[in-house]
Amino acid sequence: MSSSAAGRLGTIAFCLLFFGFLFGPLVIMVLTAFNSSPFPRVVPWDCFTTDWFGKLAGDAKLLTGLGNSLFIGAGVVLLATPIGLAAALALSEVGPRLRGALYTIFISPILMPGIVIGISTLMFWGRLGSGLGFGFDSVFFNGFFLTILGQVCFISAYSMLIFIARLQRFDHTLTEAALDMGATPAQAFRKILLPFLRPAIFSSAVLAFLASLENYNTTVFSIVAESTFTTELASKVRLGIDPSISAVAVVIIALTLFGAIVHEAWQRRAAALAQGGATAARILNNPVNAFIRHPATVAAILVAVIGGAIYLGSRHNSDVCVQSILDAKRAEQERLQQEMRERMQQQRQDAPTAPGGSAAPSTPFGGVFAPGGLGGGDAAPAPAPAAPPSAPSTPFGGVFTPDSLPKPVDAE
Amino acid sequence: MGALADFRQIFARHGAAVGLFIAGTVALWVFVLIVLPQIAMVLISFSHNLPPSEQGGPNDVYTLSQYGYFIFGNDGGFNTLHLTILAKTVLASVVVTVFDLILCYPIAYLLAHGARQSMARLMVIGLIVPYWINEVLRAFAFRILFGSTGLVNGVGMTLGLWSEPIDFIREDVALYAGLTYAYILLMIFPIYNAIEALDRNQIEAARDMGAPWWRIHWRVVIPMAKPGIASGCTMVFMLTTGALAAPQILGGPSNLWFTQLVYQWFNDASNWPRGSAYAVILVVVCILFTLLMMRVFKVRIGEIGR
Amino acid sequence: MTKTITLDHVSIRFGQYLAVDDAHLEIAGGEFFSFLGPSGCGKTTLLRCVSGFIQPTEGRVLIGGDDMKGVGPNKRPTALIFQNLALFPLMSVAENIAFPLEVRGISKAKRRKRAEELLELIALPGTADKKVTELSGGQRQRVAIARALAVEPDILLLDEPLSALDLKLRQHMRTELREIQKRVGLTFIYITHDQGEALTMSDRVAVMSKGVIEQVADPVTLYDRPKTSFVASFVGETNAIPVSVTARAGDRVSAEGAGGLSLHGVAAGGRQYKAGDACLVFVRPEQMRPARPGDNEIAAKVVGDEFEGNLRHLMLETSAGLRLRMSLVNDGSPPPIGPDGSILVGFPAENGLVLPDGPLAKG
Repeated sequence: MSSSAAGRLGTIAFCLLFFGFLFGPLVIMVLTAFNSSPFPRVVPWDCFTTDWFGKLAGDAKLLTGLGNSLFIGAGVVLLATPIGLAAALALSEVGPRLRGALYTIFISPILMPGIVIGISTLMFWGRLGSGLGFGFDSVFFNGFFLTILGQVCFISAYSMLIFIARLQRFDHTLTEAALDMGATPAQAFRKILLPFLRPAIFSSAVLAFLASLENYNTTVFSIVAESTFTTELASKVRLGIDPSISAVAVVIIALTLFGAIVHEAWQRRAAALAQGGATAARILNNPVNAFIRHPATVAAILVAVIGGAIYLGSRHNSDVCVQSILDAKRAEQERLQQEMRERMQQQRQDAPTAPGGSAAPSTPFGGVFAPGGLGGGDAAPAPAPAAPPSAPSTPFGGVFTPDSLPKPVDAE
Repeated sequence: MGALADFRQIFARHGAAVGLFIAGTVALWVFVLIVLPQIAMVLISFSHNLPPSEQGGPNDVYTLSQYGYFIFGNDGGFNTLHLTILAKTVLASVVVTVFDLILCYPIAYLLAHGARQSMARLMVIGLIVPYWINEVLRAFAFRILFGSTGLVNGVGMTLGLWSEPIDFIREDVALYAGLTYAYILLMIFPIYNAIEALDRNQIEAARDMGAPWWRIHWRVVIPMAKPGIASGCTMVFMLTTGALAAPQILGGPSNLWFTQLVYQWFNDASNWPRGSAYAVILVVVCILFTLLMMRVFKVRIGEIGR
Repeated sequence: MTKTITLDHVSIRFGQYLAVDDAHLEIAGGEFFSFLGPSGCGKTTLLRCVSGFIQPTEGRVLIGGDDMKGVGPNKRPTALIFQNLALFPLMSVAENIAFPLEVRGISKAKRRKRAEELLELIALPGTADKKVTELSGGQRQRVAIARALAVEPDILLLDEPLSALDLKLRQHMRTELREIQKRVGLTFIYITHDQGEALTMSDRVAVMSKGVIEQVADPVTLYDRPKTSFVASFVGETNAIPVSVTARAGDRVSAEGAGGLSLHGVAAGGRQYKAGDACLVFVRPEQMRPARPGDNEIAAKVVGDEFEGNLRHLMLETSAGLRLRMSLVNDGSPPPIGPDGSILVGFPAENGLVLPDGPLAKG
C-alpha cells in the first residue's frame, strides 16, 4: 500500500515537473512583456508597463511580414487542402501493395528536414526559370511563389493525415447505397462523401494555415528577398532581444487560448447535442443555459475581456515608475563609481602587494567556471571588478549585446 | 498492372471528374513539389558554383568537388571543422531524442492508462497549446530563461548554487533544453497511440501475477509501444537534426549546428551547389538514421508518421 | 411491373478464391425468394452481383430478360437494403427517403410529397424532419425500406436487414416485411443466415454452402425432403446416424450402423444406393418416439433432460457412443425410462431419410 502511495506521489511530482517545464518558459516570457526593463526579465521587476505592445504595433517590418504571411497562408490553405484530400482518397482506394508505396512517398515530406524542402524548391524553380531564360524578377525567383510551393509540399501531408483519419470512419456502404439508388458516382461523391468530410476540410484548413504561419525552416530559404512574420521575428531575435518580442508571444498565446476555449465550448455543445435526449434538452430548453453555453457567447465574453484588457493597458502610464527606477539606477551607479574610485585609491596605496585571489579575470566570464566560483559563500554577487564603468546600467554583463550574438563562423 | 486497375477503380467509384482530380492533384504534388525539386537539388550539388552567365556553358560539368570540400576542405587535409560539426549535430540530436523519450514515455503511458478521462483530456490540451506558439518564440522563451539574469541564473545564485551568472548559451545548455522542449509533442503522441491500443486487462493480469512495475513495462507495455517509440524517435531525431531556428537563437557563438552551415553557404557565401551538397548530406544522414531505427525496432516505414 | 431474374451459370472468383460456384436459377416476378446459408457461403456476394457492385467472373445475370453486363448499380431496376441499412446520417428522414428522387433531378416539392406518402406507407408519419439518429432500430429499418421503395424498383434486395434488431422486433418485422411485399407486389430477394426468417417469409428458399447452391425449394419441401446432408442438417434440428447400406428395394433402403443398429429408411429424391455405400440416416427429434411395433428401434440411455413446458427434449446415447436428440410433446404421461435410465426409442421407416455421406452444417 505504502509503495503504491509513494508511486502516486512520484507520478504527480513527475507530471508537475513535466508541465512546469512545458509552461514555465512561456509564463516567464509572458511576464517579461509587462516589465519595463529593456532586457526581457522577471527579476528584478522594474515597473508594470504596456509600452512594449505599443512598440510592437509600430513595428512596420513585422506588420509587413504578417501581411505577407497571411497571403502565403491563404495560398497554402487553398492548395494543400485539395492535395491532402486527393492523396487520402487515392490511398483509401488503391490496393494494399500500392498503398504502402504511395504512403511512403506521401509521408516523406514530413520526415524530410524543412530546410531541404526550402532549398530544393529554390533550386528547382530557379534552375527551371533560368533555363527558360527568365530573370531574377520573374515568378521563378518570387519569394511568395516559392514559399507557397515549398510549404504546400509538406503541409499537404499534414492535411492528408487529417483526411485519412476521417476517411477511416467513413462507411463505404453509404456511397454504395447512393449508387444503388441511382446516383452517378460524381453525385455520390458530392452529396455523400464530401459532406461527411466537411469537418476534416475545416480542420485541415486551420492546421495548414497555422503551420504556414509558423514555419521557419523552409521559408527562410524559399522566401528569397521577401519576409514573413516568422522570418522577421527570427531576425529580430537574432539582432537583439527586447520585450516587444515577448509581447508578440502574449498576443499569440492570447489568440491561441481564445481559439482553444471557443473550440472546446463548441465541441462540448456538439457532443451534448449529438448525445441527444436529456443532455441536449437541458441545453436547448433552458434559455439561460442555451445562451451561456453557446460558443458565440463564450467568444463574445472573451472578446470583451480582451478588449477591456487592451483598453486598460493602453491607458496605463508607467512613465513615472520607469523614471524613478532610472533615477534609482543612476544613484546606484554613482555609488558604485564612488566605491570604485575609493578602491582604486586603496589599491594604489597597496600597489606593492600582489593582487589578491579575486584577480580581475582576463575574459568577461573568467571566474565563473573556476571551481572556486561555485558554491562560494558570498551569495550576493559583488559587482565584477573589471566591469567597465562606462556601461554599468547593464549589470548582467555584455552577453546579450548584439555583438556577442552567435555570429555565423565563416567557414572559408 | 495492379496500379492501373487501382486507378480504374477510383474512376469507377467516384466518376471521371473526381478520378481526374485525384490523379492530377496527386501527380502534381508528387512530381512537381516533391520529386523533381529533390532531383534538381541533387543534380546541382554535383555542379560547380558558376555565375548565371556560365551555367549551361562549357564549364558547367558534373563534379564531386562540393562533397570533396566537406571531407577534405581546401587544402587536402580533413575538413575537421565541418566533420566535427556534423558529428556533433548527430550526437546531440541522439542525446536530445533519448532525453525526450525518457521524458515522454511516462506521460504517454499516464495519458493512455493512468489518468482519468477528464484529466487526460486536460493533459492533451495542455500538451497541444504550447505548440500553437511559434517555434521562434519558444526558442526565445528559453533564451530569456537561461539568460545571465534569467530565472535559472537568478534561482541558482539565490540558492547559492553558483555565485556568478553561468553563460548557459555558450555552454549550449539552453540549446539542448530548447530542442528537447521543441519536439516533445511528436514523441508523446506516437507512443500514446501505440500504448492506447493495449488492453488494460493485460497490465492488470501481469500485476495480478505479481510482476513488479518495471517488469510490467519491460515485458508488456514497451513491446506494445515499440512502433510508437520508433516513430517518435525518428521524427524527433529528424526535426532536431534539421532544426534551424533554435540553434540560431540558442546556439553558442562558437558551436554551430549543421543546418547553420547549410544556411551560411546559401545566405552568406551564395554558394548554391555547395549548400545543396551539404543539404544532401543532411538528408542522407536522416535516411540512414531512419533505416537504423527501423532495423533496431523492426518496424516498417508505414508505421512511422502516424 | 415485376421482372424475373435469371442467374445463368454465374460464378464469381476473387483471385484464387471461388466465392460463388455455378449458380443457376430463375426467380419469378413478385416472388419472395431467400438465400439461406451460414456466413461466408457466398450469398451476399451473389446479392451484390445482382445489384451490380460485383461483375460475375463467368455466366450472366438477366433481369427481365436483359443481360446486366456493364450496367452499373445506379442503372439497374434493383434497390438494395444494406445489412447496416446505410442511412445517410447527415440527412433528415425525408431527405434520406427522397434521395433517389433528388439525384434524378425531381423538384423539391414533389420529393417532399413522395417522401410523406412513403412515410405513410411504412406507418411513420410525422417523422419527416427528424434526424436518422433520433429513430429507434425498427423505425430506421422501415425508413430504409421506404427509401428503397422511393426508387420504384422492380426488385428489392435485402441483405440480412433484421440482424441488428432484437429478437422480438425481428419476429415482428418478419410479418411486416411479408405484408409490405404483398402490398407493393415486388420481387423480394432476401439474404439471411436465420432459417426461421427464411422459412416463415419466403415463397422459395435457396440453401447455399461454400459458394454452391445446394437446393432450391419451397420451405415445406426444404424441411421435409432435403436433398443433401448439408441442407438436412442446416434447416431445422435433426439427428444424423452414420450407416452402411445393406439392401435396397425401390426407394426403401436397409442399412446397419455401429452397435448392431439395423435401420430402414427412404432414399431421398429416389437416389440409387448399392450395398456397402456409406450413408447418413436423418431423423428429426420430433419424429422420434418411444418404440412402437414396426419402428426402427434404438436402445439408448438418457444422458440429458430439458423440460420446456409444451415440449420435453431428451438427450440420448447408444452403447456405441452415438448421440441422439428426441423431442416429446408433453401429454401428461412421463416417457418410459427404465430405472437405470435406459429407453427404447424408435421412428417409422418413412421418417428416416437416407442421404449420401457429406459435410454437415456446424452447430
